Amino acid sequence: MAALGAWRLLRPGRRWFSETVPGAPSPPGSPLYPPVVASVTAKSKAAKSRRLQRFNQRVHEAATVEEKLRLYGKLQRPKYTVYPQTFALNADRWYRSFTRTVLVPGMPPRGAAAKPPVAAAGATVEAGRAPEPGAEAPAAARAPGDAEAAGDAEAQAAAVAPGAAADAVPCVDIGELRSLTCDALLQESFYQNKKRPFLYRDQDHTPGPFLTQLVSTLAASLCGRNPLLAASSLDLSPEVNYYWHHGEEVVVHGHRKGRVDPVRFQIDDNPHLQIRVPKQLPEVVPLESDLGDVPVIDHKPSKLPLFKKQYENKVFIGSKVADPCCYGHTQFHLLPDKLKRERFIRDRLEDQIEVVYRSNGIASLFAWTAAQAMYQGFWNEADVTRPFVSQAVVTDGKYFAFFCYQLNTLALSAETIKNNHRKNICWGTDSKPLYDVVEDGNVKGFNDEVLLQLVHFLLNRPKEL
Amino acid sequence: YPLFQRGGPQLRIFRPNFFMLAVRPGVPQPEDTVQFRVSMEMTKVDIRNYLERIYNVPVAAVRTRIQYGANNKRNHRNQRVKKPDYKVAYVQLGQGQTFQFPNLFPEKEQDAETRSFDDFRDKYMEKEKQKQEGDPRRGGVPDWFGL
Repeated sequence: MAALGAWRLLRPGRRWFSETVPGAPSPPGSPLYPPVVASVTAKSKAAKSRRLQRFNQRVHEAATVEEKLRLYGKLQRPKYTVYPQTFALNADRWYRSFTRTVLVPGMPPRGAAAKPPVAAAGATVEAGRAPEPGAEAPAAARAPGDAEAAGDAEAQAAAVAPGAAADAVPCVDIGELRSLTCDALLQESFYQNKKRPFLYRDQDHTPGPFLTQLVSTLAASLCGRNPLLAASSLDLSPEVNYYWHHGEEVVVHGHRKGRVDPVRFQIDDNPHLQIRVPKQLPEVVPLESDLGDVPVIDHKPSKLPLFKKQYENKVFIGSKVADPCCYGHTQFHLLPDKLKRERFIRDRLEDQIEVVYRSNGIASLFAWTAAQAMYQGFWNEADVTRPFVSQAVVTDGKYFAFFCYQLNTLALSAETIKNNHRKNICWGTDSKPLYDVVEDGNVKGFNDEVLLQLVHFLLNRPKEL
Repeated sequence: YPLFQRGGPQLRIFRPNFFMLAVRPGVPQPEDTVQFRVSMEMTKVDIRNYLERIYNVPVAAVRTRIQYGANNKRNHRNQRVKKPDYKVAYVQLGQGQTFQFPNLFPEKEQDAETRSFDDFRDKYMEKEKQKQEGDPRRGGVPDWFGL
C-alpha cells in the first residue's frame, strides 16, 4: 500500500489541490499581478528613464508654481554660467544655438499700427483723427525745451487722447518728448556739477542716471496713451535668472565619470531697468512660424569660453510668483565700461561691437521670457501653448539697439527637442546714436528715429486695451 | 627685463628668444582657434604682439593656461621623474580667418611596383610560416614523436 501511495505521489502531472473550477470567469478589471516595469534603483538605462519619468510626474502633479520651480531646480550640479554682457568673440552665434533662437534683422512689422503720426505730417488712419493733427500742430510749433509749456502740452495731449483711444497708436507730440529727453541728458551731463568719474565707473556716472530719468519720464508722460503703462511696475536694477538644460554630454572627471548628463546653463542678469505689466504683450507671428535657421555648433560650450560652476538653480523674473505684474514689457540694459566701443575700435575688433548688443539682447530676453513662462506653469516637459513676447533696449548711453523676442518653445532638453520644430525668434536692430555730442548746454545731432522707436516700444500693448 | 616704473621707457624687445610651437589640439577646437605651446614666461600680451608683429597674423583674443607635467614616473633608482610643465595658448584669429591643423603624415599613393613587391613579400612570409608550423592535420601536436 505504501508503495502504491508513493507511486501516486511520484506520478507527474496534475496537482489536485491548486486546481480551479473549469469554466469560471477570471475577476474582471484588476490584473492578478502588478505591472512588470523596470527597477527604480538599478544602474541601468531603463532604471534611469523610469527615475526621470517619476521626476517628471512629480513636477506635473505639483500643486503650485512655487512647488514646481522648487522641484525643477532642486538638484544642483555644475552648470555653465551664461553672461549676457560678454567680451567673448561671436558670442551671439553660440547663444542662439543654446537658446534655439532665430535672429531676424530689423524690427517686426506691426500690422495696422504704423509709426505714430507726428504733428500734421502724413496720412492718419481713421477719419476721427483729422481734428487731432490740427490740435497737435500748434503744440509742436511752440519752442521745445520749455518746461511749463511741456507740462501744458502734456495736459492738452492727455485731454485729446481719450478721444483717440482706438486700437491703432494715437498721435504723440515728438517735440515734447524730444524736449524731455534733452532735459534729462543736459541735466545729467551739463547742468549737474559732478566730480570726475572714478576709474572704470564711467557708465554709472552719466549714462546710468540719464537712462533711469529718461525712461521714468517717458513712461510717465505716455501713461495716458497706454493704460498698460499706468498699471505697470518699473524695477530699478532687478535680478533676472533662468536655468535650463540643452543637449547632452558625457561627464569627464570625477566620481560620475562616464555618465551621460544634460548640459545645464544658468543666466543671472541685472538689467538697468525693467517694466513689468499685468497683461501679456500680443504675439508678433504665430506660434509655429519658421523665419530662419538656428546655428548648430558641434563644439563644447567651454570653447566659447564658458565656465562651469555649481550654485543655486534660480528662476526669477524680477518679482515673486504672487506679484500681479507677472508679464514682461521692456527691459533696459546698460553696457559696462569693459565693453565700450572705443576699446573694440582700439583692438581692431569693429565687428564685435554689434555682437555685444545682440548677445545681450538675446540672452537677457530669453531668460526673461522663459522665466515668465515658467511662472505660468510651463516647463520643458509642458511646452508653452501661447507665445511670450518681450522687448529690450540695449544701450551704452549714446548708441541704442532695440530687440523684440518671441518665445515659442521651452522644450530644449535632449528628449524634448527631438520632436520639437518650434524656434524662438528675436528681432534686433543695429545700434544707432541718439545724439552726436552735448556741447555748451545744447544737444547736437539729435536723432528722432531712435526716440520714435523707443516711444513705439513703450506704447506697445495688447489689442484689447 | 627691467621692472617698469611710472615715467620709465616702454620695454621693447627686438629678436626675442621666445619660441611658439603650434600643436594639434587634443580636443576639437572652434575653427578660428589655434593652439600653441609657448614659453612659461610669455604673457597674453607677449603672444599677441609676437604673432602680430613678426608673423602679421591678426589676433582677436588670447587665452593661456599652464599645464602641469606629472611627477609619477619612477626611474631605475626609484626616484620620481617629472615631465616638464608648459604653457598652452589658445589664440582666436581676427578678421574671420580660420585654421585647421594639417595632417602631417598623409597616406602616400603606392605605385604598381611597390604594391607588387609588398604582395610578393607578404606571400613569401606566409609560406615560411607554414613551413615552420608543420602538418595542420596533426592539430598542433609536435612531429618529433610518433610515426
